[in-house]
Amino acid sequence: MKSRSLIPRVVCALLFLSLAATTLPRLVARTREALTLLPMPYESRRERQMGAWYASVQSLRKTLPRKEPVALVLGIRDTEAAIFANYYLYPIRTRLFAGRNDYRDAAPDPTRPKTIVAVTSEKVEKTSYEILRDRDLRAGHRVVVAPEMSEPATSFVLPIAASLDGAAPETFVIEATLADQTGPALSNASMERLPRTNEVRITFWPKGESRTLRIGAGDTVSYYDLVYQLFGVMDSGWIQVESRLPLRAAFYFVNRGRADATRLPNVQRFATRIRPSPLHRDAKLFLLNWGDSIAVTTVGAETIPIMPHAMVTKPISTIPAVSGNVYAFVTTRELNARTNFYWPEP
Amino acid sequence: MIGLLITLVLFPLVGWSVGRRSWGEAFLFGAGLVGTILFLAGVVHVPLVPAFALVLLTSLGTAVWSYRTRKTSCPTPRPTHHTLLPTIAMALPLIAITFIASITPLNDFDGRAFWVLKAKGIAHEHAIDGPFFQGATLDPRNQYPILIPIDGAVIFALAHDLDDRQLRWLYVGLLAALALLVRERISNLVSPAAGAWCAALLVWIPQFAVATEGGALSAYNDIAIAAFAAGAFFELVAEVLPPRDSDIVQPRYREIRFGLWLVFLILTKSEGLPFALVFLLIGAFAFRKRIATPAILAAIAAVARLVWRARIPAGDEENFVRMLPTIPEKLDNLRAALLAFPRHMAALSSWGAFWIAVIIAAACAIRVNRRPATIAIAVIASMMAVYCGVYVATEWVVTDLIAVTANRLLMHLAAPALFLLAFAAQWWTRTKSM
Repeated sequence: MKSRSLIPRVVCALLFLSLAATTLPRLVARTREALTLLPMPYESRRERQMGAWYASVQSLRKTLPRKEPVALVLGIRDTEAAIFANYYLYPIRTRLFAGRNDYRDAAPDPTRPKTIVAVTSEKVEKTSYEILRDRDLRAGHRVVVAPEMSEPATSFVLPIAASLDGAAPETFVIEATLADQTGPALSNASMERLPRTNEVRITFWPKGESRTLRIGAGDTVSYYDLVYQLFGVMDSGWIQVESRLPLRAAFYFVNRGRADATRLPNVQRFATRIRPSPLHRDAKLFLLNWGDSIAVTTVGAETIPIMPHAMVTKPISTIPAVSGNVYAFVTTRELNARTNFYWPEP
Repeated sequence: MIGLLITLVLFPLVGWSVGRRSWGEAFLFGAGLVGTILFLAGVVHVPLVPAFALVLLTSLGTAVWSYRTRKTSCPTPRPTHHTLLPTIAMALPLIAITFIASITPLNDFDGRAFWVLKAKGIAHEHAIDGPFFQGATLDPRNQYPILIPIDGAVIFALAHDLDDRQLRWLYVGLLAALALLVRERISNLVSPAAGAWCAALLVWIPQFAVATEGGALSAYNDIAIAAFAAGAFFELVAEVLPPRDSDIVQPRYREIRFGLWLVFLILTKSEGLPFALVFLLIGAFAFRKRIATPAILAAIAAVARLVWRARIPAGDEENFVRMLPTIPEKLDNLRAALLAFPRHMAALSSWGAFWIAVIIAAACAIRVNRRPATIAIAVIASMMAVYCGVYVATEWVVTDLIAVTANRLLMHLAAPALFLLAFAAQWWTRTKSM
C-alpha cells in the first residue's frame, strides 16, 4: 500500500520543492521589506518605494484645485511617470500631452486645461507654458552660430522683437549678441574693467518696460530668446537700445522650429520707401513710430495716425507707397513657412 | 482595515445568497455577482447605489433565512490526517502574502495604470459611463471590461476612501478563494489529498504568489480570470465525471452556474470572451441541449459589454477582432508566437517544474479517464491556440507583448493544469495496484 502511493508523493514533493525554491526566497525578501516599512506611515512607505517622485506628487496634490482639469505635459521617455501621476492625482482630472508641442497644438481646443503639470521620471511640478518653452529653448542650440555684428552705436531701434509660438514647430525668438566695442578685456585687469562697464538700457515697446544690462569691457552677452529672457513675457513689439558707450550688436529674428534666421537692422532713422518685392501669404505692412509725438502717415491713398511708441500692422496684397515720420517694413511668409522681411531703403 | 472587513464579509455573503457553497467559491461567486449585477444595472442606467443596496439587502435577507433553516452538512471538506501537511503548506504563503499586502503599498503597472484607476473612477462618479469613461480624464485602456473594478469601487465607496490600500485584500482574497475552490473541487472529483496538495502547489507557484506583475501582490485581473475559469472548468468536469464520494449531493442547475462563471469571465478581461467561447464549445459535448442556458447567459453578458463599449470612446487598446484579417500579413510573428508558451512554461523562475509536470501528467491522465482529461487538455490547448493567434495578429512588437503577457496568460489555465496533475496521480495508483 505504501509503495503504491510513493511515486506520486515523491513527484509531488519534487514539484513542490521546485516551486518553493523560487517562491520562498522572494516571499522572505518581501516579508523583510514589509517589516522595514511597518513602522512608517502609509504615505512614507510609498515615498520609500517610489522616492522623491512620489513626494513631489504628494505635495502637488495639495496645491492643485480639485475640480479643475490639469494638463500633464511629459517628456519623450516619461509616459510611465505620467500614467502614475494621473493615478495618484485622481480624482483631479488630467489630460496627457506628449510634450510641449502637443499642448500648444491643442490651443484651439476650448477644453484644453489651463493648469500645466510637467511630468518627468524625477518629479512632477506645476509650471507654466512659458517656463517649459524656455527650458526647451535653453536646452537646444541657437540657430545663428556666428552672428554678424553691427558697427558700434549708442542708440538704435530694433523694428521687431518677439517671443511667440505658432502651431508646432513655429517658434519665434530674437537671438541677440551684444558686445562691448573695446575688444577683449585685459587678462589681469579686473580692477580696470569696473569703470569701463557699459550700461545698456533696453526698452520693450509698446509696454515700455526697461532692463539695464552691464557689459564689461570687451565682454559679449548673448540671448537665445531676448524678449523672454529679459522681460519674462511671450509677446511681440519693438525694442529701443540705448548704451552709455558704443556697442556692437547682432539681432536675428529666428524661427527655432525651422532653424531659419533673418538678421534685423539696427535702425537709427525713419524710412518708408520699400522696394517692390514679391508677396506670398500673410503679407503685412508694419508702421513703427518711436517718436514722442503722433506721426501722420500716408499709406497709398489712406492716412493713418500712429501714436507715439506705437507699431501698427496692416494686411497688404501689394507693397504700397508710404510716407511720414515712421519706419515702415513688410513681412510675408513663403510657402515653406519662412518669414521674409522687406526693409525700407535708408 | 475597513477594506479587509468589506472584502471578507461582502463577497462571501453575496455568494452564499444564491446557494450553499464553500467560502472560496462563495467569495468568487460573490465578487462575480456584485460586479455583474452592477455592470448590468449601469448598462441599463439604473443608479449604482440603489442597485448595490438592493444586492446587499437581498444577500443579508438570504443569509438570515439560510441561518434559520441551516442544515448540518457542510460542502467544505474538513481537514483529515491526509491533508494536514498540505493545508499548512497552503496556509503559509497565504499568511505571508496577506501580511505583505497589508503593509506594502501597491507598486505594479497595470493595476495602477488601468484597473484600480477604473475602480477609483467608478467609485467617485457612481457610474460606469460617467465623465471618467467619456474622456474627462486620462484612462489609457478605457474599454477594458470592468467587473473587478466595480468590485473595487464598491470597497472604495463603502470605505469612503479612494486609497488603493483598501483594495489590497481583494486580490489576496481572489488567490485564497481560487486555492480553496481548487481544493474543494479536486477533493470531490479526485481525492481529498489530491485537492489539498493541488491547492498547496497553486499558492506556491511564483507567478501567483510573488510575481510583481500579475501575482496576488499586484492588482492585475489574471488571478480573477484564473478563478472564474476554474469555476467554469470544474462545473464542466463535474458534468462528465461522477463525484468520488457518492454521498456528495450533486447540485442542481449546474448549467446555470457554468453559465454564470462564463459571464464573469466575459466581464472581467478581454481574454474572457474567447475563453467563454472555448468553454461553450467544449461544454456543448458535456451539457448537450442544456448548453443553451449558459450560451444565453454568456450572450447577454457579451451584448451588455458591447453596448457599454459603444457608449464610451476607445482607449489605446488593440481591437483583435479587427486585426484578425491582417493575420496573413503577419505570419512573421508565427514563430515567436508558437515558441512563446513553451519558453515561458519552462521558466523555472516563474513556474518551477509546474508545466513540465503538467505535460507529463496530461499523458498519464488520459489513461485514467479519457473524457475529463480530454476536456482539461482541450481547454488548455484551445486557449493557448487563441493566445497564439492574438500574438500573430498584434500590432505591438510581438516579442515585447509575449514578454509581458505570456506568464499571465498561463495563469488562466491553472485549474485544468492542476486537475491533470491530480488525475495523473490516480494513474500511478491504478497502475501499481494492477
